[in-house]
Amino acid sequence: MAEKGNLGKFSRADFVRIVANRVKAISAGKNAPVKDLYSYAPNKLAAALHPHVQQLKVREIIEHSPDMKSFIFAPDPAKGTEKLAWFSAGQYIVICVKIDGKAYSRPYSIASSPRDALSGEMRITVKRVEGGVVSQYILDNWTGGTEVIASAPLGEFTYEPLRDAKTVVGIAGGSGITPFRSLAKAILEGDEDCNLTLLYGSRTPEDAVFSDEIAEWAKQCPKIKLVNVYSEKKKRGCETGFINAKIIKKYAPEDEAYSIFLCGPQAMYEFADKEIETLGLRRKFVRHELFGEYFHPEKNEDYPGDIEKTYRLTVRIGDKEQTVDCPANTTLLRAMEAAGITAPSDCRSGRCGWCRSQLTDGEVYIPESTDGRRMADKIYGYVHPCCSFPLSDVTIIVPPTPYGA
Amino acid sequence: MNQFDVIVVGAGNGGLVAAATVAKEGFKTLLLEKHNLPGGCATSFVRGRFEFEAALHELCGDSTCEKHESVRTIFERLGVDVKLYHEDTLFRTICKGENGYDAVIRAGYDGFLDSMEEAVPGCRESVKSFFDLIGEIDDAQTFMNENGINPMVLYTKYGNFMRVASHSAKEVMDALEIPEKAQSILSTYWGYLGVPVDNLNALHYLSMLTAYVKAKPSMPYHRSHELSLALVRALQGFGGEILYNSEVTRFVYNAKGEAIGVIANGKLYYAKKIISNIIPNNVFNRSNRSAIPAAARKLANARKLGMTFNTIYLGLDSSMEELGITDYSVFIASDPDSRKQFDDRGEYGMYVVNCMNKALPDSSPKGTCTLFFTIMVMPGDFPEDLTPQEYKKYKNKIAEKYIRDYEKTMGVSVMDHIEEIVVATPATFARYLATPDGAIYGYASETWDNIIGRIAMKDGENKIPGVYFCGGHAERGDGYPSAYITGAMTGEEVVNDLRRGK
Repeated sequence: MAEKGNLGKFSRADFVRIVANRVKAISAGKNAPVKDLYSYAPNKLAAALHPHVQQLKVREIIEHSPDMKSFIFAPDPAKGTEKLAWFSAGQYIVICVKIDGKAYSRPYSIASSPRDALSGEMRITVKRVEGGVVSQYILDNWTGGTEVIASAPLGEFTYEPLRDAKTVVGIAGGSGITPFRSLAKAILEGDEDCNLTLLYGSRTPEDAVFSDEIAEWAKQCPKIKLVNVYSEKKKRGCETGFINAKIIKKYAPEDEAYSIFLCGPQAMYEFADKEIETLGLRRKFVRHELFGEYFHPEKNEDYPGDIEKTYRLTVRIGDKEQTVDCPANTTLLRAMEAAGITAPSDCRSGRCGWCRSQLTDGEVYIPESTDGRRMADKIYGYVHPCCSFPLSDVTIIVPPTPYGA
Repeated sequence: MNQFDVIVVGAGNGGLVAAATVAKEGFKTLLLEKHNLPGGCATSFVRGRFEFEAALHELCGDSTCEKHESVRTIFERLGVDVKLYHEDTLFRTICKGENGYDAVIRAGYDGFLDSMEEAVPGCRESVKSFFDLIGEIDDAQTFMNENGINPMVLYTKYGNFMRVASHSAKEVMDALEIPEKAQSILSTYWGYLGVPVDNLNALHYLSMLTAYVKAKPSMPYHRSHELSLALVRALQGFGGEILYNSEVTRFVYNAKGEAIGVIANGKLYYAKKIISNIIPNNVFNRSNRSAIPAAARKLANARKLGMTFNTIYLGLDSSMEELGITDYSVFIASDPDSRKQFDDRGEYGMYVVNCMNKALPDSSPKGTCTLFFTIMVMPGDFPEDLTPQEYKKYKNKIAEKYIRDYEKTMGVSVMDHIEEIVVATPATFARYLATPDGAIYGYASETWDNIIGRIAMKDGENKIPGVYFCGGHAERGDGYPSAYITGAMTGEEVVNDLRRGK
């Protein structure tokens, strides 16, 4: 073919130079080991922000009541964690414990501030859950010096300045105060820049842990406001009843947008969500912490199964296979835990996807409100065992759990 | 149980195709992936009521008229059936300033040439002459695939191929007397390869551009994650196995220096052949020094890492119509010159904004839409001393800067509508891909390390007995099709070597 345009000015012989140039350039390369991965700034930062695991030690225990304690962790350099990971106020860590040789994990909001992590301190607050294997175990067994394996900080219940309004109205119920304690302290310490008006619902003043402390921070920092709302006691300067639209309106900014962040028990969400609906806020201005574990799927109209039944759950991890019982009212994850099978899990609310497994046989029920799967996962048969209930005998392929318990 | 014919390390696009290719031929195959998802970049993530595409802008090569291996031919061979949706418009390209332009360029040869002519009257013939080269290039490639590189035949029969192959896209466009402004518009896709056109091999650019022009750009409905899952299904259907959360921490060699296995999760897995979808640098760092030939080390040290990105994912609480967003893919540049765009990459030099709803209207809930910003970053750009506590502010500063510029340039309001926001930086890619410097495009395919040189030297480089490479760092460079193609070619090479007892 004749040359096009002025391509004729290029020598065809240039072609042979390609290889020669390449050989020359390579021969000038250093005959030395390539740079270590963690000598690159992005890799170094990623490793600091997202360690595979945090090896911790209980440094201090604060007993709020027999059924509620705060545990203050320090890093455990002997086990390989020199520093605690930085995080955004509102995030959680997953605590891994072994009880009777079985591995359990549970997410807990970080109650301390990000700056506390810099000085080697991270705090969670644990409340006794009726029938809760892990909370009971922690409250009754952890002492100073107990070694604890935790995940890196996770979760999206954080203040995002480009998304959220400048003022956050926090609605906390009971132990749902912990992420707000973290946020309040982060504001006080200058690491987050928003106004926090905290509506804190408790039964009585005695139940309102951290209330005095946060009130003290509010005195020091005009960006923080605390309103205690007691359901079972009247107190001057406090609100009485449940946190309703009237109370929110009373304390929220009048003529500017505000975001509502909610963290508390599921009953609180049910009540508060109806109240918030009457305020006519845009959806983007209302954000919930994770819903938590799902119980009683049979209460949903679309539940197609027989809740009294017990099925066989076959679990394949690598080349190991095990078959265990899974009652219809129990998630695949809980059934694995109860049988002593270590499986990955983080949020236990269907959202984070860490427990994602392949369903190769059988059927499950996934309540729509907890179904945080990717679209393609639904089509190709992947489930989040933390919110999947068996409707038949089921086989799943579960990824190994390389870190944690 | 731990003995395999082939172990593939890394379930990125290349690794998935390579694993499926060898499994299809009946070889016992294990694919090890460090993450709990397949795909590498080819994935998605959920925030609130949005599912975001992590990486794919548009797929090229979904065409039956390709003469060579393409996404379509590979998927068909593996029985992968993912419906792809096509977009009629290639891109809208906006250059701000005095010598600026704002042009919408359509797909298909005629559409492309017509819209070029509309944008730059009189450029049609010269632009056409650029595309005309592809015919000879295709023929020459077919010849080389069948007969190897025979300089004498190439010299006499494929002269233009030889001329183009050894020059930059810029030099070729100049020689064809394509008007400057048309050159700028024609160069819009340079970012897909990460090298400005003055340093980018003409053949490489032309091959990619024509692949997009010829077959309309396409995408799967359920994000890239669907492509990755379809490939996993193919692999499993052929009897292969994929193991997640299983980072290969060590490559194991025998006394002769041949790779015999890998260690993942503290467990040793044996294989006759190992295919690495992870970048050679990481293989070298996880191997005994004596196993890596000096030539391979010198090559890795001589190379420059390829491009990476800051990306911003926005879920907006209004529809694209309500917001006045009209385009699927907008390239916004501050200067017509791609070199200048590259140099100013930290200051609006060039960035891309995609609104998936234009191509797939119900890709987000009714009354919402998503935007996906891609901002170029070169390895080394990321601040050396950025602390974890400064990181969130750093990310938000970048996001605010580019969202504001987009609003100003397009005359739309976005900031007030953000319902979900995720900002990724090279640190994010370093976390999920574990590549050096968070590089996404493997090695920069520029100057001496262009893909012509890579392909020509493929058989002589990175020769570690028993180890084969595929993916964005391999000879075809970055991009989904390139990674799929090297996956297929490497898979076939391994199949042939196993059958020949090599």
